[in-house]
Amino acid sequence: MRLLTDPRGYWSDLTTTEQGVAAAIGLVVLALVLALLTGALGASYFLFLFGLAGMYALLSLGLNSQWGFTGLINFSVAAFFGLGAYGAALMTASNSPIAGGFNPIIGLIVALVVAALVAVAIGIPTLRLRADYLAIATLGLAEVIRLIMLNEQQWTNGSAGLRGIPTFFEDWPVLGTFTEVMPAIELELVPGSAVVFGTSFWQQLLNVALLLVFLGVAFAVLRRAQRSPWGRVLRTIRSDEDLAKALGKDTYSYKMQSFVLGSLIMALAGVFYAHLNLFVNPGDLDPITTFYVWVAVILGGSGSNRGALLGGFVVVAIREGSRFVSDVGAIPIGGASFRLLAIGLLIILVMRFRPQGVLPPQRELIWSSAVDTAAPSRPDRGVRDVKAGEKK
Amino acid sequence: MSLIEYAANGVVYSSIIVLGSIGLSLIYSIAGFANFAHGDTMTVGAYATLVAFGAIGGFGVSVLGLPMGFFIALLVGLTVAAAVAIVTEKLVYEPLDIGSIGLLITSIGVAFVYRALIQMGFGADSIRYDVGHVQPIEALMPYGIRMTSHDVAIVVSGAILVTGLHVLLQHTDLGRKMRAMADNPDLARASGIRTYRVKLWAWIIGAGLAGAGGVFLGLFNQLMPRMGFNVLLVIFAAVILGGIGSVYGAMLGGFLIGMVVQLTPILSDVGIPIGIEYANAVAFLIMVAVLLVRPTGIAGETIQGEGI
Repeated sequence: MRLLTDPRGYWSDLTTTEQGVAAAIGLVVLALVLALLTGALGASYFLFLFGLAGMYALLSLGLNSQWGFTGLINFSVAAFFGLGAYGAALMTASNSPIAGGFNPIIGLIVALVVAALVAVAIGIPTLRLRADYLAIATLGLAEVIRLIMLNEQQWTNGSAGLRGIPTFFEDWPVLGTFTEVMPAIELELVPGSAVVFGTSFWQQLLNVALLLVFLGVAFAVLRRAQRSPWGRVLRTIRSDEDLAKALGKDTYSYKMQSFVLGSLIMALAGVFYAHLNLFVNPGDLDPITTFYVWVAVILGGSGSNRGALLGGFVVVAIREGSRFVSDVGAIPIGGASFRLLAIGLLIILVMRFRPQGVLPPQRELIWSSAVDTAAPSRPDRGVRDVKAGEKK
Repeated sequence: MSLIEYAANGVVYSSIIVLGSIGLSLIYSIAGFANFAHGDTMTVGAYATLVAFGAIGGFGVSVLGLPMGFFIALLVGLTVAAAVAIVTEKLVYEPLDIGSIGLLITSIGVAFVYRALIQMGFGADSIRYDVGHVQPIEALMPYGIRMTSHDVAIVVSGAILVTGLHVLLQHTDLGRKMRAMADNPDLARASGIRTYRVKLWAWIIGAGLAGAGGVFLGLFNQLMPRMGFNVLLVIFAAVILGGIGSVYGAMLGGFLIGMVVQLTPILSDVGIPIGIEYANAVAFLIMVAVLLVRPTGIAGETIQGEGI
């Protein structure tokens, strides 16, 4: 890790934006640590928020692998998120009308298989379409899936939703009893305001651990995929599909692979959500979720995985920040309207002033070993200082 | 309910969808992108009419159960929708240089801003126009049609607007320029048409018709900040079925999709278990089927890979 061995050189190698983002992240982390220590922010609530932010980051990674890599306009993010959440909930929830009571691992597998099948089923008719048709068709199909979840009460419980979802690690040998075994720790770092780590804290800590596993796996897979020959074909399709075809690539097949991969990651976020929130209902499939994720991806930088991570966290900051602002009463408008306005303005402003996003992909598209830092910026031999016909 | 009654409802609903889809198709072909803010432009028209009607009041003789003041308020709503669209074009879309996909994504932001502002001003609850409740027309009852005079007003007003647009497109200079530009923007510009002005007119006409559609949708159901977004996909289905770029195709597509949505309950009457709650879903599935079988729609030209 160069960051550890040569921090100064690492820092000066970053672009100005990267330095700005790093500084901003540092400030936010510092503020959060202070808020935690003084007890202004409950530790378990903080972990819940972190889980939510990570979930949006996961969704953004999924969308990034469709829109950022391949240029597929998928407006059915909420539908795949919902399929993941419902797949997990229907297999595990105590009031599930079809299966219920299975181990969350089974729920995870079922959710992913269902999401993959639906992605193929949606992809077959839509992926041959022009980009703007794909946008309309996926938004329509997302609405169809939402209507099915809402109206097929014999399978999904309809608007009542599914309750009694166990936490992910409930049946696991050690982790299942982790929250009961762990003692409630009370820390008094700042005199007068004790920070308590109780059962709910340990529970959220487990959730965050699960999230970090999901996020880590998704990030590693996508990072590897993006730099691979496969990722290069996807980028070619994004910038010029006819060119990719002319090079003999089966673009439809590549688009399908990218679509299914992204949908699986979105479903993974849904599975995590089901075990975080312990309750799912058709409201979770609201199209607004899709556009939150879109904001995260275009704000972070289309095609950039770390941009998607950053965007996911920013979106949760907007979501929860607006809730906080309207609770305090600092602005005279409702939280829902404010969120809608903030998201809308953010889309317009990013597209107007920085369509490439905050952290557009740069070096992350290239194998790090392929970047030869020792090479001189121009050849030292065979280059004449003076062109022919020029006077010295 | 009988088939004829569903069909009567379908005609009313179709009039609304036709008004929306003409504007969407016009903007799609002339401004060159799928405008996701079109549904919310309808909402803007509906709420502007609500405000104007509150200010003007229901004076004048009553035509088809609606006071004259309502028709004036309708014109105000139509104008406001057009004005909002022009301001948006000038402020948001015009300075952008990001291609049709970027414009599409931006239009979603625009849609959210419209909806958020309306929600702030009027709350998220549903409202009705204060035009009183009317009974179904007695003369039609023996035929099994429950149609109010308001429904007739919607159909008649819609027909007048559509006829007006037809005259404009076929018999005026602006209309010919618009058709030329929808057909081939580059050729239109090369022939000396001031395409920029034509584009602004397309926004005015498209958004104005959408505003009128929104008012009628509010009269048919009720006003909600989400009403436009909810109907947007149905309108897209209509435009794609009719063929993007063809105004007459949009009229036909709007009529067919409107009828399909209102006739969906027939399916469960004949034993297919698809209820009214899936009416919109049926419209989308038709849209996807059209995209698969005939992406140019009913009336669309065969432009292969033409990326508008």
